[in-house]
Amino acid sequence: MFAGFDALPNGAAVWDETGALLFANRAFRRSFDFALPVGLLYARFLTAVVASREWRLPDPPEMWIADQAAAFGDESEADYKSADGRVVRMSVAPVDGGGAITMLSDVTAAERREATLLAAKEKAEAIDEAKSRFLRAANHDLRQPLAALKIMIFNCVRETDEARRRELLHGMDVSASVMEDLLGALLQIGQLDAGRIKPRVATFQLSTLFERLEIQFRHQATDKGLSLRIVGARAAVSSDRALLERILSNIVANALRFTDVGGVLVGCRRRGDGLRIDVVDTGRGVAAEDQERIFDEFYRAADDRRLEKTGLGLGLNIVKRLSDLLGHRIQLQSAPGVGSRFSVFVPLGNVWHSEVVETEVNEAVAGEFVGAPILLVEDDDALREAMGQLLDRWGVDRRSAAGAEEAAAIVAGGFRPRLIIADYSIRMSTGLDVIAHVRAVSGAEIPACIITADAEPGVVERVRAAGVPLMVKPVSPPRLRVMMHHLLFERDPA
Amino acid sequence: MVDAFIPIGSMVPLTGPSAADGAEFRKGVILAAEEVNARGGLLGRPIRPIFADTGRQGAEDVVAAARTLIGTHKVHAIVNGYNIGPQNSEYEPVAEAGVIYIHANTLLQHHDTVMSDPDRYFGCFMTDPADYWYGPGFLKFISWLRDTGQWKPSSNRIAIVSGSKPYSIVIAQAMASSAAKFGWRVCFGPEIVQTPTSEWREALDAIRATEPAVIANTHFYSGDLASFQLQFMERPTDSLVYLQYGAMHQSFSDIAQGKGVGVLTSTVIGLLRDEMGKSFASRYVARFGEGSTPHIGCQSYSALHHYVLAASLAGGSAGPGGFEQNRKVAKALKSVIYRSVSGTIRYDEQWQAAAPYPVVSQDPSLGLPHLFFQIQDYRKPLALIAPEPFNTDRFVLPPWIDARG
Repeated sequence: MFAGFDALPNGAAVWDETGALLFANRAFRRSFDFALPVGLLYARFLTAVVASREWRLPDPPEMWIADQAAAFGDESEADYKSADGRVVRMSVAPVDGGGAITMLSDVTAAERREATLLAAKEKAEAIDEAKSRFLRAANHDLRQPLAALKIMIFNCVRETDEARRRELLHGMDVSASVMEDLLGALLQIGQLDAGRIKPRVATFQLSTLFERLEIQFRHQATDKGLSLRIVGARAAVSSDRALLERILSNIVANALRFTDVGGVLVGCRRRGDGLRIDVVDTGRGVAAEDQERIFDEFYRAADDRRLEKTGLGLGLNIVKRLSDLLGHRIQLQSAPGVGSRFSVFVPLGNVWHSEVVETEVNEAVAGEFVGAPILLVEDDDALREAMGQLLDRWGVDRRSAAGAEEAAAIVAGGFRPRLIIADYSIRMSTGLDVIAHVRAVSGAEIPACIITADAEPGVVERVRAAGVPLMVKPVSPPRLRVMMHHLLFERDPA
Repeated sequence: MVDAFIPIGSMVPLTGPSAADGAEFRKGVILAAEEVNARGGLLGRPIRPIFADTGRQGAEDVVAAARTLIGTHKVHAIVNGYNIGPQNSEYEPVAEAGVIYIHANTLLQHHDTVMSDPDRYFGCFMTDPADYWYGPGFLKFISWLRDTGQWKPSSNRIAIVSGSKPYSIVIAQAMASSAAKFGWRVCFGPEIVQTPTSEWREALDAIRATEPAVIANTHFYSGDLASFQLQFMERPTDSLVYLQYGAMHQSFSDIAQGKGVGVLTSTVIGLLRDEMGKSFASRYVARFGEGSTPHIGCQSYSALHHYVLAASLAGGSAGPGGFEQNRKVAKALKSVIYRSVSGTIRYDEQWQAAAPYPVVSQDPSLGLPHLFFQIQDYRKPLALIAPEPFNTDRFVLPPWIDARG
C-alpha cells in the first residue's frame, strides 16, 4: 500500500494510533543510521534520534523526548541542524483514525536564503542609521576646527606682524588638516556603526598628538578667556593615532564647552604598563547620577537644554564607542561646580617602533640650508625663476629681486639676508652695488657672491677687488651648493 | 670579442686626511672582488677593481677620479665607501656615462639630487641611509634609555653642537627638529662651531650653563671629538655625551683613553657581531693582517657584492654608454634585498638609498640597522648596545655620572 512512497525525495513515516511504526520510506530511513523496524514505538524512535547525536536538539534531550512523545498525533513543525550542517524540518500531522505521519525535508537552502536576506536587511538598516549618524556627527565635530579657522582668518586679515601672520597661517593649515582628518575619522565612525572599522594600532609619540590638540584648541580657549595647558608628553603609546586623537579632541572640546571660568589641562601619568591621559577642567562638573549617562548618544545635562549651538551631544558618545573599540578604559571623576577629570588609559608602546612623522624627508625640510634667509638678485626672469626653484628645493627662506630697487625695497621691508647672491650686470647697476647697499642698510658684512655670464677680465678684476667670490654661468647645483655652504658656515670662503 | 675582465672603479682617498678610511674601503672592494671571482665572476666574467685616489675629497678631486675611471678605464660601475666634499658633483659624469655608482656618502642631498631627475640619475645609489636619519634615530635611542629606566635623565634638556660640514649640520638640525616629538627640549644650539678644531671650551662652558641631560656633538673627526671629550671631562656635568661617528674610531680612544669611557656613538652602517659579521671580520683580517679594520671595509665590500648580485640578475653589466643594460642593473638593485654583513640593504624606490632600521623600517629584515655603541673599556672593541636584535651589550651609566651619584 505504501510502495510508491519510496520514490519521494522527502522522508515519510506512518505510525498507528498506539505509536507503533507502520511504514518508513527510503528517504526517511536514510536520514538515520539506526534501524527502523516496523512496530518500533515512537518514543523509542525519539530516544534513538537523541542517541545518534545526528541532530542538535534542545537541552536537556530527555525533555525533548518527553515533549515530543506527549504531543504525538498533534500537528507540529520544527527545524533541526544536523551534524553535517544541513537543516532538517520535521513535520508531524495526525492521520484519520488515530496515529500520525512524520515528514522530513531538507530546508538548508531555504534557511540560508532567509538568513542572507535577514543579514542584508540588517546591513541596509545599519547603513541607513550610520548615514544619519554621520551627518549628525559631521555637523558636531567639524564645528571645532571650523570655529578655530574662522578666528584665525579674522585675526590674520588684520595682522601686520609677519612672524605672527605666519604663525596664524600655520595654525590655519593645521586646522584645515584637522578637518580633513576629521572627515576621514567620521567616515570611519560611519563604518564603525556598520561594524566595518578595524583600528590600525601602531606605536607613536603622544607629543605629536598633543601638539595637534594644542593648535586645534588654543584659539578657541583664548577666545573664551580660558587657559589651555597641554603638558608635554614624553612617551610612546600603542594605539590608533587618528582614533585616539578623535577621543581626546572630543573630550577637550567638551571640557572647553562646559567651562566658563578657569581652564583646561591636558597631561599624562604612568600607571603600571600604561599611561593615563587626563583632561582636567574647572567646568560645571557632572552630577554623580549623570556620570554614566553622559556617554549616551544625544545626552544633555538637564540645565543645558537652553543652550543653542553646542552641538548635538555626540562627542562623548563617540569617545565611548571609540574607546570600546580600542580597548582603552575611560574614567570620569567629577563634582558639580568644581570640575571634571576625564582619563583615558592607553598602553605604552616600544619607542623603537614609534612611527617617524616625516616619512618624506628631503632637503626642503631637513637640509643644511633650511630657513636660511637669502636674497637673490637676477634680472633675467627665466634664470631668476630657475634659481629660485632650486633654492626653494633646499628649503631656503628666499626673496628674489629683479633689480637694485626691488632689492632695496625688500631690505627696507625688514628682510635681513644671511647671504646675497647677485648677478653682476643688472640693468642700470651691478650686483656689487646691490651688495654694498644691502650691507649698508643692514649694518653688517653679509656674505655675498656674484654670478656672471660675462667672465671678461675687467669684471673679474672688479669683483675680486671687492672681495666677493665669483661664479661663472651656467652655475651647476653642486657648485652653488658648495659656494653657499662655505659662505654660510665656513670661516674661509672657498 | 668580450673583454676578459669587467672593470669596476672605486674612488677612495688613498692619500690625505682620510687615507686610513680609504685604505679600508680599498680592501673591502678587493676582498669582495676576490670572493666574486673565486665563485666564477659576474655571469662567468671576472671583475677587476681599479682605484682612483680622491686625495682631499673635494669636488674637483672626486670628479676627476670619476672622469678617469669612466673615460680611461671604461668602468661598468663605481663602487666605494664615502668621500666627504664632492656634494654630488661626481653624479654628473656618472649620469652622462650611464654607469652604476654606489657609495656610502651618507648625505640627504643624495635623495634630492636623485629625485630631481630620476631618469638622469638612475644609476646613482647610496648604500647607507642619509645623515638625516642620525637625528631621529638618536632621539629614539635616548628616549629608549629613558623609557626603559636604564637611565634617569636629570631633565628633558638636550644641548646640540655641530661641526661646520653639511653632514654635521643636517644631523644637528634633524636632532633639533625631532627632539620635541620625543619629549626633549633643545636648551642649547644647534650651535655650529668652525671645524676642524681642537678647542671646544667656549662651547662647553655655554653648554654647562644650560645644565643639559644630554650633550650631542655632530662633528665627526675623531681627533677633534677626542679633544671635546677631554675638555668636557675637565668639568663633567650630569649629562650623557654622544659624539657622532668619529668616536667609533680607534684614534678617538687612543687620544681620549680612559676619559672616553662612557661616551656614546653610532653609525648607520657598521659591522654586525653575528655569525656573518664575525666570519667576514676573520676573513678580512686573515687577508689584510692585524690592524686592518673590517668595520669600515664592510661598507664597500657589501656594496660590491650587492652590485654583482643585481648585475647577474639583470643579465650582465655594461660600460659607459650602455644605458639600456645599466637601467636593468639599477632596477635589479632596487628589487634585490641584500642581507649584507652590515644588515639588510634595501634600496628605497624613490631615494635610491638604503632604508634605515628601526627609524624608518621597523622590520630588521628590511632596513640597515642604525647601531649604537658605548665605549666601556677603551682597550676593547666598543659595546654594541642597541638596537635589538643586533645588540650584544648593555648600556652602563657613564662614570662621570656615577661619580656624582
